[in-house]
Amino acid sequence: MKAELVLMGKRVDMAPQNHRRALVALIYGTLAVLMAGLYWLDGWRTTGYYLVFATFLINRLLLGGYNFGGLIKPFSGKPPARSEQAPPFLLLALRVYEPGPARSEYRSDERELAQRDRAHYQAYQALASVLAILWLLSGWSAFAPHLLTWLPVAPALLVFGVVLASVVVALTLPQAILLWTEPDMEEAQ
Amino acid sequence: MITSTDRGPGESGLYNRIAVLRAERGISRQDLATALDVNYQTIGFLERGTYGPSLKLALEIGEYFGLPVEAIFSTRPLEPLSQQVYGTAKLKSTA
Repeated sequence: MKAELVLMGKRVDMAPQNHRRALVALIYGTLAVLMAGLYWLDGWRTTGYYLVFATFLINRLLLGGYNFGGLIKPFSGKPPARSEQAPPFLLLALRVYEPGPARSEYRSDERELAQRDRAHYQAYQALASVLAILWLLSGWSAFAPHLLTWLPVAPALLVFGVVLASVVVALTLPQAILLWTEPDMEEAQ
Repeated sequence: MITSTDRGPGESGLYNRIAVLRAERGISRQDLATALDVNYQTIGFLERGTYGPSLKLALEIGEYFGLPVEAIFSTRPLEPLSQQVYGTAKLKSTA
């Protein structure tokens, strides 16, 4: 896990656990507001895809995990191939600061791999619960629609919303768990 | 300096002397981490006993300090090194 982020040219110290927790809360708060806003725009017909793209961008810039930007090292545990070409967002000053790109910077050691696996296990449990809710909702919607007549939205749309939220959570939860649970980072000396 | 030896074995159930050995030899966490090819944070977790190393990492730590693994890690509280080397010494009475 990296100890700092640089966004818009400003370094943000991410060593204290409370900074990382604030970032996680901010990200999920923003995603929730964005999801509600996009529903208001077109009921997620097209904008649902934008939410997933926004999640990819959040992973690339802030959370990491599935690539070598962001705070969490790549989950693959292998050093990723680096391109000689500058990424396009460098020009927009949105690039995440990557201190001294030594290859080991991106390789997880055995403790980090154990933490990664634990975070995925915890995320799997949360997602399995969401899947169970989804199963119930879709079952009622298909076979017993009278049970859902009290809902203010169409059951199919509710199912779609839960699926959309699940995709966002699946893409971000392991990284969020790691950022949330790792204690304050210490000095190297 | 508080080590896992002073305050219990930590979550890993292991007592260790890494912090003592590191301080004795003037090695920083970063130096040790670089030598072992791990994150410096991991050294802190090892010292506090929060993380129990794999056998491979434990052997590498032993090799780095030139000591057998059992001199660095133990499931029972470790005696202070001076006591182990010179035997049990009586504290000088101040009375």
